Amino acid sequence: MTTLNDLSPAFLTKTSDTAARAIPPVWPLASSVAVNPYLGQSGETLAQVGARLGRVGGVPVTMPRAHYNALISDGTITDADITAAINAQKADNLPQLDAIKQAAATPAMTPAPQPTIADLAAKVSGIDWPGIFADRFGHWAAGYFDQGQALWAAPRRRSAYDAWRQYATHDLTPEIAGLAAFAQFASDTPDTAADARAQAATRLGLTQEMLETYLHQLLFSLGGWAQVARYNLWQAELAEKTDDTITDLLAIRLLWEEALFAQYEDQIGERWDKVKAAHGRGVLPDRDLTINAILQEAWERAVQRDLARTFATPAPDQSQDHPTLQAAFCIDVRSEVFRRALETVDTGVRTLGFAGFFGLTVSHKGFASDVDELRLPVLLNPGVSATSEGENVNAAQTARFKARAVRAWGRFKLAAVSSFAFVEATGPIYAGKLVKDALNIAPPTTPNGPAPRLDPPLPLDAQINAAETILRAMSLTTGFARLVVLAGHGANVVNNPFASGLHCGACGGYAGDVNARLLAGLLNDPDVRQGLGDRDIAIPADTLFVGALHDTTTDTMTLFAGDHPSAAHHADIKQAEAWFAQAGVLTRSERALRLPRADGDSDIDLRSRDWAETRPEWALAGCKAFIAAPRPRTAGKNLGGRAFLHDYDWKQDNAFGVLELIMTAPVVVASWISLQYYGSTVAPDVFGSGNKLLHNVTGGIGVVEGNGSTLRTGLPWQSVHEGESYAHDPLRLSVCIEAPRDAMTDILKRHDAVRGLFDNRWLHLFAMDENGQMAWRYEGNLEWSQIAPEAPLDATAQG
Amino acid sequence: MILLSLRRTAVIFKGNKALFIAFLPFIAPVIFMALAVTAFRGPEMRPAGVLKKVEIGALVALFVAGLSALALVLNGSATSPLIGASGLGLSVRLDPVSAVMLLLVSFVGWVVVRYAATYLDGEARQGSFTGWLCLTLAAVLLLVTSGNILQFAIAWIATSRSLHKLLLHYPGRVSAQRAARKKWVTARLGDVAMIAAMILIFITYGTGDLATILAAAQTGQGAAHATWIAVALAIAAILKSAQFPMHGWLTEVMETPTPVSALLHAGVINAGGFLLIRFADVIILSPGVLAVLVIIGGFTALFGGLVMLTQSAVKTSLAWSTVAQMGFMILQCGLALFPLALLHIVAHSLYKAHAFLASGGAVDGVAAIKRPGPVAIPDGVAVGRAFVIAMVIYSAVGFAFGIADKSPQAIALGAILIFGVAYLLAQGLADAAPRVLTQRTAAYSAAAAIGYFALQTTAEKMMAGTLPATPAPGPLEWALIVLALFSFGLVAIAQAMFPLWAYHPAAAGLRVHLSNGLYANAVFDKLLGGWSTKRNS
Repeated sequence: MTTLNDLSPAFLTKTSDTAARAIPPVWPLASSVAVNPYLGQSGETLAQVGARLGRVGGVPVTMPRAHYNALISDGTITDADITAAINAQKADNLPQLDAIKQAAATPAMTPAPQPTIADLAAKVSGIDWPGIFADRFGHWAAGYFDQGQALWAAPRRRSAYDAWRQYATHDLTPEIAGLAAFAQFASDTPDTAADARAQAATRLGLTQEMLETYLHQLLFSLGGWAQVARYNLWQAELAEKTDDTITDLLAIRLLWEEALFAQYEDQIGERWDKVKAAHGRGVLPDRDLTINAILQEAWERAVQRDLARTFATPAPDQSQDHPTLQAAFCIDVRSEVFRRALETVDTGVRTLGFAGFFGLTVSHKGFASDVDELRLPVLLNPGVSATSEGENVNAAQTARFKARAVRAWGRFKLAAVSSFAFVEATGPIYAGKLVKDALNIAPPTTPNGPAPRLDPPLPLDAQINAAETILRAMSLTTGFARLVVLAGHGANVVNNPFASGLHCGACGGYAGDVNARLLAGLLNDPDVRQGLGDRDIAIPADTLFVGALHDTTTDTMTLFAGDHPSAAHHADIKQAEAWFAQAGVLTRSERALRLPRADGDSDIDLRSRDWAETRPEWALAGCKAFIAAPRPRTAGKNLGGRAFLHDYDWKQDNAFGVLELIMTAPVVVASWISLQYYGSTVAPDVFGSGNKLLHNVTGGIGVVEGNGSTLRTGLPWQSVHEGESYAHDPLRLSVCIEAPRDAMTDILKRHDAVRGLFDNRWLHLFAMDENGQMAWRYEGNLEWSQIAPEAPLDATAQG
Repeated sequence: MILLSLRRTAVIFKGNKALFIAFLPFIAPVIFMALAVTAFRGPEMRPAGVLKKVEIGALVALFVAGLSALALVLNGSATSPLIGASGLGLSVRLDPVSAVMLLLVSFVGWVVVRYAATYLDGEARQGSFTGWLCLTLAAVLLLVTSGNILQFAIAWIATSRSLHKLLLHYPGRVSAQRAARKKWVTARLGDVAMIAAMILIFITYGTGDLATILAAAQTGQGAAHATWIAVALAIAAILKSAQFPMHGWLTEVMETPTPVSALLHAGVINAGGFLLIRFADVIILSPGVLAVLVIIGGFTALFGGLVMLTQSAVKTSLAWSTVAQMGFMILQCGLALFPLALLHIVAHSLYKAHAFLASGGAVDGVAAIKRPGPVAIPDGVAVGRAFVIAMVIYSAVGFAFGIADKSPQAIALGAILIFGVAYLLAQGLADAAPRVLTQRTAAYSAAAAIGYFALQTTAEKMMAGTLPATPAPGPLEWALIVLALFSFGLVAIAQAMFPLWAYHPAAAGLRVHLSNGLYANAVFDKLLGGWSTKRNS
C-alpha cells in the first residue's frame, strides 16, 4: 500500500510544536515544584484525556475499578452521587446507573498504546528495540542535561540535535546490538532538526491525520527527558525567548524510527500502515473510559458532601476582635493543622492564610552564593532581587573560599588518579561518618542565616505600592495585633533528593523564610508605614512584624526576631514562641496518627534527621479542597490537613481584583499540586517517579530508577502510598470561594485557561454563601446550580 | 533470643576457655544465620519485632568481632580445632587479616541492616529481604574467618548465591534480570576457578588447613604447582572483583534497594582482593601471575577512573569508582604489597558504604558546586609547579615515615598517590585562585599525604609476620613499576590539565567511547542475549 504524502514542512513544524506543548514541563530537583501532568490536555475532559493518553502511552487516568466498587459497597459513593455524575457529563448516550454499578464490579481493560516502529521491530526481531533506544537516548540525554554530576561534562555543541548527532556518530552500541550501520546513518542525517524531521516523515510515510497523536507518543516515550526539554521552552518563553530543545528531541526519536524502519521495513511495513490508520482516527473515549470518569466524579461528589457537612457543622468562634498575635501562614495544606492547633492554644491568637511567597517575587542570592534562587511561583517572572550577603563582606568572602576549597577537595575525590589517594588517605574517616549518620547524631540544622535584604533596594514609592498590594491581597488592612508573625515554610530532611518538593511550592521549591523576612522588613519600615497610612491602611506604631519559618517536618517555628530588635516586644515574642511550641506538640500528635512508625509527638523529630527515612512527612498528600473565605468560616473545623486555606473577604475587594488574582494564581498552583498527586497515584508508572529505594540521582536534576535510563518525574511511590494503603485519595480539587457568583463568572470569561480547568472538571468550583455554606456549584459553561443544604456532622463523627 | 543462644553457647564452652576463644569469631556468622532464620519465619510486611532483633544481633556480632580482635592481641594468631577431617571442615582462623575483615564486615553489616530496617519500611517483602541480607552477611563472615579451604570455598559460593537473591529483590524488573544474569555467569565462572584452586592446593599441600598451607608455602613448598594455583586464584579474584572486561554486571546492579549496593560494594566485591591476600604466601611463589595482576589491575584502575568521570548518574558513577578502586587493589596485590591492599579494602569499604547510603544527597551536592562561583582552572605552569611541590611533600613526609626502608614497589605506589595529590595542589595554584584557596588546598594536600603514610605504616606494622614481605624487584617487576608510574603519571597530568583538553573537539569521540565503558558491556549483553525480548518477557 502506498500512502500519499501530503505533509507540508509548515504543518510538520506546527504539529511538532503542538506535540511539544502536550508534554508538561519538569523543574530540576534542586528547586522543584509540582506540575500538572495533564497540563497539555486541560482543555479536554478526563474521559477524552483517557482516550488520548491511552493511545499515546497506555496510561490509566483513573483508579482501578475495584477501588470505586469498594467505595460503592461501603456506602461512600451513593446512587445519588453516580446519578449526579452522569448528569454532569457533556456527552450523549451515557450508560445509566445500573450499568455503571455493574461495570464498577468488573475490571476495565488497561488501555493499550499504539505500537511505534521500535515496538514493531522488537516484535519481529526479538530484540528489545524500545529498551535499547531508551538506554541509548537516556545515556546521551543524561550527559547533555547534566548540571555537574559528571566531572567530564558532555559537549553541548550548538543544540541538542547537534550534540546528539556527534554522540551517535561515535557510539558503537546500536551496531553491537544489531542495528546495522547506525553511526553512518547518524552521520548522514540532515544538518538541522527540522530537515531531519522532514526526512524521517517522508521515509516513514507519515500522514497529516496521524501526526498529532504519533508525534505526541514519540515525545511521551522519552519520559522525563522530554519534560526537561519542555521546561527549557517554558523558561525561555517566560523570558520572552524561545527554545528548540524539545523539538530536537523529537527529531532524534524520529530518526531512530527511520533507522529501524529501514532495517525492518519488509517485515513490518503492513503492520505499520495499520498503525498509521489507527493514529488517524479521532480521539474518542470508549464506554469503559466514560464509566471510569463517571465513577471518579461520583466519588468526588461524595467527598464534597462531606466537605459541605463540615461547613454546616457549627463551631464556636473563639477569636477575639483584638487579637494579641496574628500569624500568617502559607495556604499549603500543612498549615491548616498547625493553624487549627495554634488557635486552640489561646483565644488571643488569630491566623491567616496567604500564598507563601507573600507577594514578593524574589530572585535571591544566598549567603556566599552566586546562584540566583527564584523564590516565587513558577508562573511568574522575578520582580525584585535580594541577597543574604549581610554587611560583613569578609565573612562572606571567607565562607566562599572555604566552599571553594571544599569543592576542590570534591574534585580531588572524584578525579581519575586522585580518587585512589583520596580513598587510601581518608577512607577510615568514613567509619566515624557512618556511625554519626547511622545513629542520627548530627545536630539538626537550624535556619539562622543573615537577614535578607532587597538588593538593589526599591524606591520608597515602589515599596509602599508593594506593601499595599500585598496587605490588600491578604485582606489584612485593619485590626493589626501588637505582634504579626509572617511564617514561610520549609521541610527539614536529609539525604532526600526530593527535599525541594517538600518546601514551599509558591516559593519555587525553596523554603519560604526569605520572602517572609523581606516582607516583615518592608512592613516595619516607618516610611512605608507612613505611606500606607496615606492610603487608609493604618498600622499601629506598636505593631511589630516578624518573619518566621514553619518547619513542616518537625512543626517547629523559628522566629527571626533578631532582624528587627524591639525591646518593647520582648514579652510578646516570648509568649508567641511558647504558643508556637504548644501548637507544635498538638500538630505533631495529630500528624503522628497518619505517619507510619510514629506513636506520638516525640517520634516526629527523628524523621527529619534519619538518612534512611523515606517518609519524613506526608507533604501535601491528601489535599482535596481549596477554600478562599474569611477564617471564621473554617475556624474550629477539622479539615484534616487536606485543605488550602486562603483568607479572602470579598467585601473589601473593590472591582474584584484580588478575587481575580486568587482564581488565576493560587488556585492554578493548587491545581498543579492536586493533579500531580492525582497523576502520581492513578498512573505511578508514568506520572510518578517510582520507587525511592531504587532512585539513582542523575545529572543533579532528576532521578532514574535503578540502572534505568528514562528520567522519572512526579511523586515517588513512597510519597503517595503508606505501604499497606494509599496516603493520598486521588480527587480533583474542590475550590470553594466566598464571593458573588457573577464576579467569578466574569473572571472565568476573561481567562480561558482557568475556565478550561473548571469546565473540564480538573477543578470543581463552589460559591459559598454569606453563612459560609457551599451554596452553588459551578456546572461549567459559565452556569451555576444551587446545592441542597447538608446536615451538620454528628459530634461523634466529626474528624 | 540471640542473647539466650549466646548464653547457651557460653554454657557449652564453660570450663574450656581456650576452646571458647578459639571459636569466638564463629559466633558472628552464627548470629546472622539465626537472624536470617528469624527473618524468614517472621512477617513480610513491617516485621517490627524481627527488625529489632536483627539490629541487636548485628550489634552483638560487632561486639564479638571486637572481642575477637582483643583475643588476637592477647593470645596471638591461632586456628581453632577442626570439625571435620584432613584439614577440611569447619574451623576458625584468627589472625590480623581475618580480624580486620571480621571487624570491617560486621561494622558495615550493622550499619546496613540498621539502615535497611527504616529504609524498607512498608515494602511488601521486607521480611525476606532482611533474611537474605543476614544470610549474605553470615556467608561473608564465614568466608573471612575460614580456617580451611573447604569452608572458604563454600562460603565464597554461598556469598554470591545469597547476594543473587538480593539483586533480584524485585524479580519482575527486566534490567535487574539482565544485570543479575551477567553477574550469575561471571560468578559461576569464578566458582569454577575457585574450586579448581582449592583442589590444586589440597593436592599440592595434602591438607585443607589454611595455616599449614601458608606455613608450607612460606618455606617454598609447592613451588612446582604454584603457577597453576596462582592462575586459578587470580581468575577467581578477577571475576569476583569486577576486573576488565568482566566488570559489566557491577555497573548495572543498582536495580535493588540501596543498602544492597552498600553491602555489595563494601563487603562482597572486595572478596577477590581478600582471596589474594589470604593466599598471599602461595601466590607470591608465582611472579608471572603477579605481573599479570599488575597489568589487569592497573588497566582496570585507570579505565574505571576515566569512565567514572563521564557518568551522570550518582550510583553508576560510584559503581565505576568501585571498578577502579578494585583495580587498584588488584594492582597492589600484583606488586606484592599485600598489607596495603588490605588497607585499601578497609578504606574503600568504609568510604563506599557511606557514599551509597548517602547518595540521596547528590542533588544538594551538585547544587552546591555552583554557589561559590566559577572553578579556577590550572594551566600547564600551575600543574608543573603542583607536581614539583607534591614531590617535595612526598619526600618530606616520606622521610619522616622512613621511606628509605620501604620496598621500591611501595615507594612507587606512594608516588602514584602523590600524583593524585598534585591535582589538589594544582587547583589551588591556578592563576584565578585566591591566596586563601591556595593555602587551604596546600593544607589539605599535606593532610592527605600525612594521612596516607600514617595509615600505610600502621598497616605494614600490623601485618608484619602475617603477610609476606614484598620481594626485591627483578627486571620484570622493575619494568612493571616503570609502566605503572608512567601510565598513572600520564593520566594524573591529564586529569590536572583536564578542562584544557577534555572539551577539545578531538576528544569528543574518546568521551563517547569511554562513557560507554569501551563497549565491553554491550558485547557481553550481545553474547548473553541481554536485550532479547524472548527471555525477558
